[in-house]
Amino acid sequence: MRTLLLVNLLEASRSLWASKQRSLLALIGIVIGIGSVIGMVSIGSIVQNEVLRQFRDMGVDIMSIRKGYDGDAKTELRFNDIMMLKEETRSVYEVGPYLTGNMEYTLGRNKFNMELMGVTESFFDLNKLRIRMGRSISDLDQHRYFCVVGSEVVEFLQKSGNANILGTRIAINGRAYEVIGVLDKAAEGGLRPYGINRAVLVPLSTALRSFENPDISTVMVRVNSQVPVEQVKNDIQDYFRRKVRGLKVEINSAEELIQRMKDQMKMFALLLAAIGSISLIVGGIGVMNVMLISVSERRSEIGLRRALGAQQRDIQSQFLIESVILCLAGGIIGISLGIGVSYIFAYFSKWQFIMSYYSIILGFGVSTAVGLFCGFYPARTAARLDPIKALRS
Amino acid sequence: MNTPMLEITDIRKSYQVGPTEVKVLKGINLTVEAGELLAVIGPSGSGKSTLMNMLGLLEKPDSGAYTIEGSKVFYDDDRVLSTLRNRKIGFVFQQYQLLPRLSALENVGVPLIYRGLGGDAIKKKGMEYLAKVDVENRAHHRPAEMSGGQQQRVAIARALVGSPALVLADEPTGALDTKTGQEIMDLFRRLNRDEGITMIVITHNPGLAEQCKRSVKIIDGMIYPA
Repeated sequence: MRTLLLVNLLEASRSLWASKQRSLLALIGIVIGIGSVIGMVSIGSIVQNEVLRQFRDMGVDIMSIRKGYDGDAKTELRFNDIMMLKEETRSVYEVGPYLTGNMEYTLGRNKFNMELMGVTESFFDLNKLRIRMGRSISDLDQHRYFCVVGSEVVEFLQKSGNANILGTRIAINGRAYEVIGVLDKAAEGGLRPYGINRAVLVPLSTALRSFENPDISTVMVRVNSQVPVEQVKNDIQDYFRRKVRGLKVEINSAEELIQRMKDQMKMFALLLAAIGSISLIVGGIGVMNVMLISVSERRSEIGLRRALGAQQRDIQSQFLIESVILCLAGGIIGISLGIGVSYIFAYFSKWQFIMSYYSIILGFGVSTAVGLFCGFYPARTAARLDPIKALRS
Repeated sequence: MNTPMLEITDIRKSYQVGPTEVKVLKGINLTVEAGELLAVIGPSGSGKSTLMNMLGLLEKPDSGAYTIEGSKVFYDDDRVLSTLRNRKIGFVFQQYQLLPRLSALENVGVPLIYRGLGGDAIKKKGMEYLAKVDVENRAHHRPAEMSGGQQQRVAIARALVGSPALVLADEPTGALDTKTGQEIMDLFRRLNRDEGITMIVITHNPGLAEQCKRSVKIIDGMIYPA
């Protein structure tokens, strides 16, 4: 029985090779189908890995509070209320309010789109920012025109001819801000909806006084991770409702965002599965077509084999194996293609490439299944041929 | 006398051609003893190919009985019929019917594959039978690289390799020139004489039939001693 299988495998490869043009054409559908599924599953896991890494960097005990849209429109997050949050609720350890805005900064002929942020001392710690040179902003810098700049801002300033960054003055809204510190390159994303590397950070008190339309948009807080997320959120909600009538806040926790991201990934995966199955169905029809042609071209071979003692199931397995080999060949090409594409994707987005073994197994499984499914009808047709009629043709 | 090699009793077969029913075999009786070399002659369309298919278990008769080596053939199980074809019968065809992608040796081995033999055993047997029909030097050639006579010899080796009870040859010299045809016929006679293989040769060539031990004639679906 093992010989039969081996001979069938050899025979199938030979007969596919004999009509390689046709086999290759039939494969294209399978290659695209498997390739797109593998590629996207692989890219999906790279993205997920990256996103989770961003959150993990921040720590899961961080939450972000913003003014909700469903509250009274005239209410606002007030600085003093925010600062008292950690004194009056037991679940909040640290608060870091900030405001952000964008500004195009021109220096000679060079332009730079930078992020303007007003922050407190705690912001640096909450974001795990590291100082490369100078110092960070302290709460003692109230109303001073100091700033700390991100790594890309430094590059821009150097390109524009500023050799010594510390002490350089940056003009914002008609005021000169002295650079007192430079940040290391920092991770972005997650609960940080701002580009810290192209940011100019100034004391929040200064920003509130001298920026146009200052409005504290968001507060980052570090909470007691022993307290359940829901209770922390209730504490914070209650606190702000007590302070300002009609003020509603929206609170995002890292854990919730991770969960939401995972749900989205699940949707994404479902969508991909749908796209992949459609191309696989199209590819499978191509394979079935090729197999039917192969069966009708080899009628006399089938008749001969029957005369020499092949049972119906021998003929059936011969053609099934041929169809599976055809699909597996397409699957292997598709898998390599998909992995290649996701590798290129990871390379250019400078993210960590991860090989998804699960998707490779999936690829092999699916191509075998397509081969069996689409080979079944042609193989059964071959097996049921009348030996005499087949032999005469 | 021992049990005959095969015995058919009142075999009938008809085909539906359009609205008319064509009776091809009209009650054939034939007994073949072990070790016989029998020629079946008749004009084309007489039904001799249908008889051969019947004897080769490729076709099912409308009525009548077929007994091989004393056991009756039942036609309702494909597996049993396939196994009988594989073990009891060797076919030689007019157009050789070798598989073009396989070497001579691999072609000879095909019946043994369906018997579940291992690769080495198949090769050994194949070489043995190629030698028996004098084409062992062509073992690794494809059919397209061989002459008609050589191809037919390979086909004969394939028919013999499973040591069948019966070899059925349908116009085995029909595609060959006279000289090569005679060589094939000589091979048949030698195999019959030396190995005691039972053979039925179907031909429309009376000259070949004369070289067989016994001949029967099929005319219009009926069998007559020739």
